[in-house]
Amino acid sequence: MKPILLQGHERSITQIKYNREGDLLFTVAKDTVANVWYSVNGERLGTYNGHTGAVWCVDCDWDTKNVLTGSADNSCRLWDCETGKQLAMLNTSSAVRTCGFDFSGNIIMFSTDKQMGYQCYLNYFDLRDPQQIEDNQPYLTVPCAESKITSAVWGPLGEFVIAGHENGEINQFSAKSGEILKKVKEHSKQINDIQTSVDLTMVITASKDCSSKLFDSTTLDHIKTFKTERPVNSAAISPIMDHVVMGGGQEAMEVTTTSTRIGKFEARFFHAAYEEEFGRVKGHFGPINCVAFHPDGKSYSSGGEDGYTRIHYFDPQYFDFELEA
Amino acid sequence: MNMHDTEDMPPDVDYDEDEPSFSDPEDFVDDIDDEELLGDLLREKPQEADGIDSVIVVDNVPQVGPERLEKLKNVIHKIFSKFGKITNEFYPEGPDGSTKGYIFLEYGAPTQALDAVKNADGYKLDKQHTFRVNVFTDFDKYMNICDEWETPEKQPFKDFGNMRHWMEDPDCRDQYSVIYESGERTAIFNNDPKDPIVAEERARWTETYVRWSPKGTYLATFHQRGIALWGGEKFKQIQRFSHQGVSLIDFSPCERYVVTFSPLMDTKEDPQAIIIWDILTGQKKRGFHCESSAHWPIFKWSHDGKFFARMTQDTLSIYETPSMGLLDKKSLKISGIKDFSWSPGDNIIAFWVPEDKDIPARVTLMQLPSRQEIRVRNLFNVVDCKLHWQRQGDYLCVKVDRTPKGTQGVVTNFEIFRMREKQVPVDVVEMKGDPESKNAESIIAFAWEPNGSKFAVLHGESPRINASFYHVKNNGKIELIKMFDKQQANSIFWSPQGQFMVLAGLRSMNGALAFVDTSDCTMMNIAEHYMASDVEWDPTGRYVVTSVSWWSHKVDNAYWLWTFQGRLLQKNNKDRFCQLLWRPRPPTLLPLDAIKAIKKDLKKYSKIFEQKDRLSQSKASKELVDKRRSMMEDYRRYREAALLQHQEQKAARLELRGGVDTDELDSNIDDWEEETIEFFINEEIIPLGE
Repeated sequence: MKPILLQGHERSITQIKYNREGDLLFTVAKDTVANVWYSVNGERLGTYNGHTGAVWCVDCDWDTKNVLTGSADNSCRLWDCETGKQLAMLNTSSAVRTCGFDFSGNIIMFSTDKQMGYQCYLNYFDLRDPQQIEDNQPYLTVPCAESKITSAVWGPLGEFVIAGHENGEINQFSAKSGEILKKVKEHSKQINDIQTSVDLTMVITASKDCSSKLFDSTTLDHIKTFKTERPVNSAAISPIMDHVVMGGGQEAMEVTTTSTRIGKFEARFFHAAYEEEFGRVKGHFGPINCVAFHPDGKSYSSGGEDGYTRIHYFDPQYFDFELEA
Repeated sequence: MNMHDTEDMPPDVDYDEDEPSFSDPEDFVDDIDDEELLGDLLREKPQEADGIDSVIVVDNVPQVGPERLEKLKNVIHKIFSKFGKITNEFYPEGPDGSTKGYIFLEYGAPTQALDAVKNADGYKLDKQHTFRVNVFTDFDKYMNICDEWETPEKQPFKDFGNMRHWMEDPDCRDQYSVIYESGERTAIFNNDPKDPIVAEERARWTETYVRWSPKGTYLATFHQRGIALWGGEKFKQIQRFSHQGVSLIDFSPCERYVVTFSPLMDTKEDPQAIIIWDILTGQKKRGFHCESSAHWPIFKWSHDGKFFARMTQDTLSIYETPSMGLLDKKSLKISGIKDFSWSPGDNIIAFWVPEDKDIPARVTLMQLPSRQEIRVRNLFNVVDCKLHWQRQGDYLCVKVDRTPKGTQGVVTNFEIFRMREKQVPVDVVEMKGDPESKNAESIIAFAWEPNGSKFAVLHGESPRINASFYHVKNNGKIELIKMFDKQQANSIFWSPQGQFMVLAGLRSMNGALAFVDTSDCTMMNIAEHYMASDVEWDPTGRYVVTSVSWWSHKVDNAYWLWTFQGRLLQKNNKDRFCQLLWRPRPPTLLPLDAIKAIKKDLKKYSKIFEQKDRLSQSKASKELVDKRRSMMEDYRRYREAALLQHQEQKAARLELRGGVDTDELDSNIDDWEEETIEFFINEEIIPLGE
């Protein structure tokens, strides 16, 4: 499969996300830029300009009306997807690490980093109440004293947020009360990414402890583990096959010896039931920071430390491939 | 005049007989006792028992006549005054006037006598006389042994189990030790081509690293207080040797002795830097100073463990076991000796001495214990030499770097000594470099084929590194069989059985690997283990392990198992993997003709083994298939339950999205808008007309 190369960022990609229907792919990076592309051919639709610091996260609501971004410039911004106009700016005391729309698209959550004396907080805003936006007053703020939140997604019905922490813990925070409904600790090191399955019944975590794990969204039961020998930066679940894809490596500054391997950072495919690796895709010049499946499962994308995003459409063989059982 | 005899003089009338009486009055009672009056003097009063504890008896003293007695006394004095001041000596003589052969010496204090016993007992004066020294009081002890026989207390038998247990594996799997988690965990695995099987795993088994004994019987672990040896089926602790701060060890090839080194323990009186221990008894046999910071092992063992030797400034000291004394009681004075090594097959030492004024440099082969020089080879204009013995001791290669007269550059020759031929003929192989360049060909690595007569050389400068293979033929010629150029290699690893080898570019060369069959010098496979830091062959030569150690590279720590042909079998990732060492095998117990018979019938055996392998393969895939099947079933069950719950929540979902059904991508197809977007695909410029 020949990949489509998206060149629109000058620094490393921090997150990529498809909209619900999959025709658009959003990419954000450390260069303060948020881009949106047509996933069918990689042509850029537009840019959301405004952030003054690295953009860490992006999300799009179910109807592809609004776009949410969080940045190191201590703001979480709401945009109109089609026109690129900034609709709201919510200032924070520290960098916004993760953000997202709930199932209905009415409630947004975002977490702020533990920085410069400020704790990590998980904030909830109801978009139906413009007063909250105007006053920059979330209806609920949950402090995280122990270990800061490094990645988070909404639960299936918008009742709770599933958050991954720096110490490897996963907690369910109620969106109504902010209390912790469930907690598990299966990973030994930082959770770098959490993504949901397309039907929101499962979540997959990617951790610095070189493994990725599959959990049930509601019960947080640990279902599967996928092991590698490198820290995993991101993982995603295929919407149509029993596959998961993982991307990793290490951030350039963490590796003390420079690797002379060109184009050899790989995305790895595992069979979700057998926990066995069955394929790899090379191409990135640096560690892969984010992976995502197209909602129809016929392609996937990866964003790397090298600033490139690659869209891969699967060959027919991919869908026929079966491990002997 | 006549002398008169003495006669009583007539009493002197004038002398007064009444001199005052100096005796005590008859009723005088002495109220001061002796102790008070002269206590200090009394203490020094010689007592009969005094001095016996400080007396030693020395036996096996040469019996000499009176003319040599003085000389004997001087010799004895010289030896024994080391332990203290000799206050008394007695050399009993026989009826013929010569000494009886035993003497008595008295020291100033009992501690000195004990010191003498400890250090002089067993002292070899000459070939016929080895002193036996005892304290005199011991004789009393032995004379007074109870007549009643008391059964000695029974020492419980320490059963360590079958020390060769690992050799009895029915599938002939070899073992290897793995240190990982940066040293926190040590595990022993049985090597199976499918997956390694854990034999034993312990946390904090060693504080730094481990070593196997040469025949594989013991595993040695390092600790602050010393080393410990483990063995048997359950890896019980066999023996412990206390040597504070031990950092290096070496085993004798026969596994009878272990040598430990610690930089901490040395004092002038008591050499403790290097200690030689008897493994079975745990006894400390002898301690040595560590004089120079030479390479470890400082003591080099002969192949049969009968001798060990070390080199110090201008001196070669050879010791014999089990006495641990110098062979012939003296070291060899070899002025300027630079390096030496034992033949791995015979008790022959090779050493070399650099040029000295007009005496050329030379390499000498010396037979032990006779000290006969069986071969001397003069070398001219030598800069440096390195000794490389072939594994069986059939050949010795001396790599000589010379500056030929009239040139500036350095050239390298290999002087090959044929040890098995009469008078040890020497053939020379010249390493010619690039004829254009003034510099000599730099030699990166050299290695003999074990069990064979080939050797491999890596030479040149990166990126033009060449691998040359030579064959030492019986007809006196050394033939260059093949040269591979532009190799990414800095190390040579021969299979311990010979014929096969791996050329590896370790560390900075990023783990390039080349598997070579030297019977026809073909490359069987070229592969890579990125950033590999070590290559280890198993003792049979069937498998090779390449590994990335955490000690040299902080990521991707793992060890990979390959067949000898270069087919990758396993990739084993281990968190902070540090070191893998194969367990050595003891030499085969089969006689040569039995080995020949097996080789002849190899076809018959290989049929049986292949069948067994095929069965186990299909068993493996069957196991895997079964495992997958059950995993899939579990997963399906979970998914069904989850989907059921998902269905139940449909109403809630519809409500949240204002009645829009988004469960499937095409659930709300009626709501879809068709939009046409034009994309720029291609531009074609067609010129019109002329």
